[in-house]
Amino acid sequence: MTLISGATAPVQNTRPSPGPGSKITKVLTTTDHKTIGLLYLCTSFGFFLAAGAMAVLMRAELARPGLQIVSNEQYNQLFTMHGTIMMFLFAPPAAYGLANFIMPLQIGAPDMSFPRLNAFSYWLYLFGGLTAAAGFLTPDGAASFGWFAYAPLNDVIHSPGLGSDLWIVGLLIAGLGTILGAVNFITTIITLRAPGMTMFRMPIFTWNILVTSILVIMAFPVLTGALFALLADRHLGAHIYDAATGGAILWQHLFWFFGHPEVYIVALPFFGVITEVIPVFSRKPVFGYKGLVFATIGIGALAMTVWAHHMFATGAVLLPFFSFLSFLIAVPTGVKFFNWIGSMWRGQLTFETPMLFSIGFLVTFLLGGITGVMLASPPIDFHVSDTYFVVAHFHYVLFGTVVFGFFAGIYYWFPKLTGRMLNDRIGKVHFWTLFVGFHLTFLVQHWVGAEGMPRRYGDYLASDGFTTLNMISSIGAFVLSASTLPFIYNAIVSYRRGEKAVGDDPWGFGNSLEWATSCPPPRHNFVTLPRIRSERPAFDLHYPQAAGQVDFHASPELR
Amino acid sequence: MRLAVVAVATVLLTGGCDLRSTYENSLSLGFPDPVTDEGQSIYDLWLGTVAAGAVVGLVVWGLIFYAAIRYRKRSDELPRQVRYNLPVEVLYTVIPFVIVAVLFYYTAVSENRVNQISKNPDVTIGVIGFQWNWTFNYEDGDPNTVDPSVTGVPGQPAQLILPTDRKIRFLETSNDVIHSFFVPKFLFKRDVVPGRVNQFELTIRQQGTFIGRCAELCGEKHDRMNFEVKVVSPEEYDAFIASQRPAASAAASVTPAISAPVQPAGSSS
Amino acid sequence: MKVEGLLFALYAMFLVMASAVYWLLSFDPTGTTCILLSGGLAFIVGYYLMFTARRMEARPEDRADAEISEGAGEMGFFSPHSWWPIYTAGAFSVTIIGLVFGPWLVLIGLAFLAVTVSGFLFEYYVGINRSQGQTLQALEAMGESPTSPHKFLGD
Repeated sequence: MTLISGATAPVQNTRPSPGPGSKITKVLTTTDHKTIGLLYLCTSFGFFLAAGAMAVLMRAELARPGLQIVSNEQYNQLFTMHGTIMMFLFAPPAAYGLANFIMPLQIGAPDMSFPRLNAFSYWLYLFGGLTAAAGFLTPDGAASFGWFAYAPLNDVIHSPGLGSDLWIVGLLIAGLGTILGAVNFITTIITLRAPGMTMFRMPIFTWNILVTSILVIMAFPVLTGALFALLADRHLGAHIYDAATGGAILWQHLFWFFGHPEVYIVALPFFGVITEVIPVFSRKPVFGYKGLVFATIGIGALAMTVWAHHMFATGAVLLPFFSFLSFLIAVPTGVKFFNWIGSMWRGQLTFETPMLFSIGFLVTFLLGGITGVMLASPPIDFHVSDTYFVVAHFHYVLFGTVVFGFFAGIYYWFPKLTGRMLNDRIGKVHFWTLFVGFHLTFLVQHWVGAEGMPRRYGDYLASDGFTTLNMISSIGAFVLSASTLPFIYNAIVSYRRGEKAVGDDPWGFGNSLEWATSCPPPRHNFVTLPRIRSERPAFDLHYPQAAGQVDFHASPELR
Repeated sequence: MRLAVVAVATVLLTGGCDLRSTYENSLSLGFPDPVTDEGQSIYDLWLGTVAAGAVVGLVVWGLIFYAAIRYRKRSDELPRQVRYNLPVEVLYTVIPFVIVAVLFYYTAVSENRVNQISKNPDVTIGVIGFQWNWTFNYEDGDPNTVDPSVTGVPGQPAQLILPTDRKIRFLETSNDVIHSFFVPKFLFKRDVVPGRVNQFELTIRQQGTFIGRCAELCGEKHDRMNFEVKVVSPEEYDAFIASQRPAASAAASVTPAISAPVQPAGSSS
Repeated sequence: MKVEGLLFALYAMFLVMASAVYWLLSFDPTGTTCILLSGGLAFIVGYYLMFTARRMEARPEDRADAEISEGAGEMGFFSPHSWWPIYTAGAFSVTIIGLVFGPWLVLIGLAFLAVTVSGFLFEYYVGINRSQGQTLQALEAMGESPTSPHKFLGD
């Protein structure tokens, strides 16, 4: 059924056998977007495990009233670094890993526009991330002022430790890597597309990477500036964030001007992954391609103007402006939802692991999106802001998008990366354990937050009445953490001995160009490229009988 | 069939009270019953929002599960390769827009009510947050007298006494880092920001003792600076204030009264 | 290139308008500056792309009827491997971490940065890599060609 185009017999290797350390050298000197993508994916997963372990510790502490496991200060370090690692060192790099590997393949490019800059960005991420996390190794411990590091708590009087400084510089280093990576993505998409690959034929994943990268170059420099100013205050005696001159609110504006686009930066790539997976496992094209593109562009624009909805309780911001725009941003996101459902509608659905994770995303993100619309209302925020209700909301949207999307992407593209399939049965065990564990952990948090349990509390009183819901949530966290084990086993075993991927397109109904080259692709990606006449060139290549067929609203320009 | 309709109608009409409390209990999702006018406005908005969210959620989850079940792969035949449907797409863009527009309208109404500041409040309370407790000043607006004040210490949380049925203005600031004055039963919090005076007004309608918490990360003992709000009748409150004033003028209060912030035109409080 | 330019230009227009509305409603200098400057960034990129698009013919990737063969020939130079990215990242990290520990470390870092950035910039202009022809000959001497279909993690 699948056609293999341009496959040639492997060239006999006549080089002398490489010496010891050559594999390490190959990694340290790589400029190949596929290797760099794999590095991003593995490193980000390592950080995910570390931050996940911190979360398990926190949930273990919160299961019962009283401090049993860690001190107050240690608990503060745990949630600070959990948030920092997840939001800076897991989610964006995981997105970059998938983008690095897949995007050039999807546009028919031989590599990224700036291969060495690509490698530079990765090493900056690694070094910056390790620096920030190294706070745990200092005598006073890691930063403990929360991942948003509000002023004046972040100043040298209230947070004097070295860990706080390492947090700041680590993010400066990693932030530069993120910015340069985005520059690379934008340039590649503009300059290295294959002939016939017009902008409106690019896969949605690539569109999402483009909009994400635009958000990165607009938002991350603001964070960089704010962090440099903070360093100046801490070490050079500057007075930028002095409370008396409005410094507390100034930091919040600058941080959230970065911070809100940041959550879309981590969400959009994984929306793109879902948009790739669902049509393939429904055996239909994505529904409403142009609508999806415009919705993504709309989300990108609005994302820059809603930041102060994180500041509704400060009494210092223009409530109606931010409330209205926050309500508005729900509309394009809702449109995307209907596009995804429309892609499934009247299809022929099969439920391999990538599809399971995609549907899991839909189910989970829906609740997170609904609570997000609730939070766009300042009066409601006056009660639930800074409580576990918000913690529940953002875990539903972030975990739902990033983690479900990450695993959907890994299971989907594993054959393309490695030439082998991940075991589907173990994948299903992974999915169901994760799904049950996640909802058990976070569903009850809506309730306990609405009852008035604030966030970032390491402890609560028995008389508060929060114990039962916290216990349930902690049990869920243990289940959720256990779900990672089948995945790690699956990844390691399948990498070495997994079932080999058959042909260019092992899933059978791939749409985009990465499914028109071998698994894994050659060094510069394509030996030959098929003609590109629609947004699904690989499908047109493999199913010529369907291409050009004037079906109901099918593409009329295919010939 | 007609009998069933009559039965249902009877239940609905006579069981009206029960229905409302059932509706509230299932939709409140843990929100405490509010004890202030402003909280009641927030509560009503919340119930309506949850109802709207539940309807949207049920419809969309329904669509997802229906599609997943109904369109399972039944044969190897390629389904119709439908790529767009303009009327449907327009519909599912416009309907969410209408929904959020309605939600924004009710939000604006509630927000204006909650943020209202009157010209002459009956009671003014100064709230000062610090690491890691609270000081509450009962301000009378007279700069020549010393205000009664209470400051919490570890082991003995600060207790703020307030009257029902009076307009109470809160003026709050911080001595060090950002904290947040949060009383769950009021369904209200407002950040306490150093270098800035925030103000808000509440009118409480129910007596009782309610717990208050700090709701903005402020360092090591962020979770150990709970306070108490004891709401009494207006007469009891007046008696309390009268009993405090002679003592207050004898001993200097720890912190000076906070004056209302000067609001530039065009900004929200 | 016109579509890409339009994308950035539309962002620029939206952000500039939003900053004006925000200023008039709030008089908040922080937010207004942030939105305006972001609009400025989008404007720079968008203007450049639209201006360039107007001055050139549609590239094969901009045309719906283009054939793959139109993209035949050299696509550009893609560095095969390099030590300079990790060296430069290390030097930059030392410099930034130096901001915490003192000017001495910053100066050491800046020295490293000067060396590594120069190495990075001039890598393909000196020595064996001085011209593409030299690199191609070196590859051929090893029995390789730039398009050998080796697995990327192989050999």
